[in-house]
Amino acid sequence: MPLITLEGVGYRYPEAERPALVDVSAAIEPGQVILLRGPSGSGKSTLLRCLNGLVPHSTGGEFRGRVLVCGLDTRAHAPRELGAHIGFVFQHPDAQFVLEDVEAELAFGMENLGLPLPLMRKRVEEVIDQVGINHLRRRRIDTLSGGERQRVAIAAALAVHPQALVLDEPTSQLDPQAAEDVLQVVMRLVAELGMTTVIAEHRVERIAPLVDRIWTLDFGVLKDQPPRAALAEGGARPPVVDLALRAGWSPIPLGLRDARVYAQRLPKPPPYPPPRAGEGKAHYPLPRAGEGKAHYPLPRAGEGKADYPLARAGEGKFHQGDFREAGAAPVLCRVENLEYRYNGVQAVRGVSLSVRRGQVTALMGRNGSGKTTLLKLIAGLLRPQRGTIQADARAAYVPQDADALLFASTVEEELRGQPPDVMAPFHAWLRRYPRDLSSGERQQLAIAVVAAHADLLLLDEPTRGLDPQVKQALSAFLRMRAAGGAAIVIATHDVEWAARTADRVLLMAEGEIYADGLPAAVLSDSLVFATQISKLVGGGLLLPNEVPV
Amino acid sequence: MIRHPLAWCVWATAALAAAFIDRNPFLQALLLLIIINVFIPYSAARRIRIWKIGLALAAVPIIFSVALSRFGTHVLFTLPDIPIIGGRWTVDAAVFGASTGAALLLTVAVFAVLQTTVRSADLVAILPRPFYRAGTTVALALAFAPKTVASLHSIQEARRLRGQHAGWRSAPQLLLPLLLTTLERALQYGESLDARGFGSRRRSRYRPLPWSIADLLIVVGSLAAVAAIVLMPPQPYNPYLDLVPGVPTVPSLLAVLLLAMPALTAGLSRMDHAAHHA
Repeated sequence: MPLITLEGVGYRYPEAERPALVDVSAAIEPGQVILLRGPSGSGKSTLLRCLNGLVPHSTGGEFRGRVLVCGLDTRAHAPRELGAHIGFVFQHPDAQFVLEDVEAELAFGMENLGLPLPLMRKRVEEVIDQVGINHLRRRRIDTLSGGERQRVAIAAALAVHPQALVLDEPTSQLDPQAAEDVLQVVMRLVAELGMTTVIAEHRVERIAPLVDRIWTLDFGVLKDQPPRAALAEGGARPPVVDLALRAGWSPIPLGLRDARVYAQRLPKPPPYPPPRAGEGKAHYPLPRAGEGKAHYPLPRAGEGKADYPLARAGEGKFHQGDFREAGAAPVLCRVENLEYRYNGVQAVRGVSLSVRRGQVTALMGRNGSGKTTLLKLIAGLLRPQRGTIQADARAAYVPQDADALLFASTVEEELRGQPPDVMAPFHAWLRRYPRDLSSGERQQLAIAVVAAHADLLLLDEPTRGLDPQVKQALSAFLRMRAAGGAAIVIATHDVEWAARTADRVLLMAEGEIYADGLPAAVLSDSLVFATQISKLVGGGLLLPNEVPV
Repeated sequence: MIRHPLAWCVWATAALAAAFIDRNPFLQALLLLIIINVFIPYSAARRIRIWKIGLALAAVPIIFSVALSRFGTHVLFTLPDIPIIGGRWTVDAAVFGASTGAALLLTVAVFAVLQTTVRSADLVAILPRPFYRAGTTVALALAFAPKTVASLHSIQEARRLRGQHAGWRSAPQLLLPLLLTTLERALQYGESLDARGFGSRRRSRYRPLPWSIADLLIVVGSLAAVAAIVLMPPQPYNPYLDLVPGVPTVPSLLAVLLLAMPALTAGLSRMDHAAHHA
């Protein structure tokens, strides 16, 4: 008998024009792992909230059909009763905690069930080991990092011994290392406990090899498929699947391990030349004019930007000249010997850097390596304690949390005072409330508001929480701005996206830049900052379409 | 060193009563010293930024009193006939302001101790059943305060990025986004509470709160202090009548001294589950 059954579920938020879910029918058997995919705004969160009754109990609106969870009809049972059966982990790491310290938090769900103390003690110890958070048990929640919080949230959900775990994009707000840690935990629960799991996740490459079914949502319509069929059809998928489809590998490998067998048939690429020995940092070949990513096809009109106003904003305007073909592009910003320390920590030490027009530079490195501080220094938000910054253009900085930039009551009001060509693409949204937009839509609006006309664009983690289509469109927009003469620096953890977007990569650690060069050079010579294809094939090949098959 | 939250509440009530009923500067100084002593064993747990707020708060009545009050005989200087601030500025007014400021400082100090020693969750747990949901709402609202400050900072930075000024005049414009952010977070919080089974009938405690000898001593001491303060003639102080305060009576000194009980019993440790988790 299925653990969870959805029968003809339809749902419409109060005062919404179109339904969020349309006639969704599916079933989840005990022990199954379901991956839920779909562009942002397609109804993923809504569907997951149906599973523990938050929809419709806490949202109101128009609900049709029925959801049975362990035999309980969610229309008749409130979320707090279903909480004993469904462990729920939310997207935002900071909004789901109730108490002050980790252990109290782990026990909270059990206290609500009225479990006796000895049982609670035993279960707290068990989940601490299952999730591997013994080192965090005495900590206060507000001192934890995002990744640590998500692991505590998973442990807290697990402690009530739910029949199923439901995770709503648990890693979308995290950097890749933290995301990896969280997914490791999920994978271990699946492997060791046979935990029934429903997870919405953009980072499909890690979990694709584990899932039993893939649910794909599009405008509220659900497609329930076996993994290979779903991945072959499109949507978010791992780069190895792209390569497999190009090379005609069958059955499609879902992860790196499966793909290795096929990859041995590929012609072996020559190893990429090692970096020159320099002082201080590894010098890789830098893109010369007309080289580097110049062969990278610029996005054609109508490609990847159907729902992306900013990409349309660039049309016409930025095509006058491609700076990478015009010889050595002028330096737009030069930074010398920059030093910055705060709270006794040297955040940026001795950074020298010049950024040219037409260049998209990806700034990568672990959390706390100084990326954000460097961007803020260049943007003039922080004053350097030593060193100089010369910029020949207005700098615009888009912070990580783009939401904070939006607080007018309509999109129109946000865009007030902007030139018409910036306003025009947002025409369809003008009356909407900015905070009701999806995360991808908000990101675009924030960039338009802050950076539409700046020549030096500084973006901090712009792809966090974005779905693949919006990421691709963002990439297209940035390439187009660069082609029009802007210089763009992006602090990002997203290796695959950086490989597609940037023509220069800087690696940063301890406030210093330790590698600088073409993405093919820097990223293929790295263990951590390597794309899936470069791990598989090597030789400076980063993306599926670069591999000769 | 964990004490029962109810013991802390009784102590805090007694200390507040002392701070407001007795305006004698000697007693106020003694009370401040006692509160600092009570706080010291716990000071490692939290940064003591709140003292700055207390001092700032204490300065406000002094400024207002000295600048606006024209009473008193000990003239500092006389300003020409400017509206509001013109006229005689007196020592008496300044001292009167300082006396009110001291009471405010003591209040902040008492709450600083309470905030450091009592977890809001524990406070909720000791509430009687019928008040449980209401109490939780209040506790959660309190937990939001620091987060609201954090979002205020991010909104201010966002305004700077958009080239808007972040000065005092922009305060009304800041208020709306702040309210929205807080409201959104509260909604998410509510969802999380629901999803985790909060509000069901049965409820057990992961960390029971047993009473110890020290807790009882604190409660008895505090109640005795309150009784003494209320029953004894108050030790008023009005600088406008006489700038030099009177010497406090011995019983009133003893009553205030009783409030040092948490500091005196700090050495009595409790070897049980809760202490283990401190």
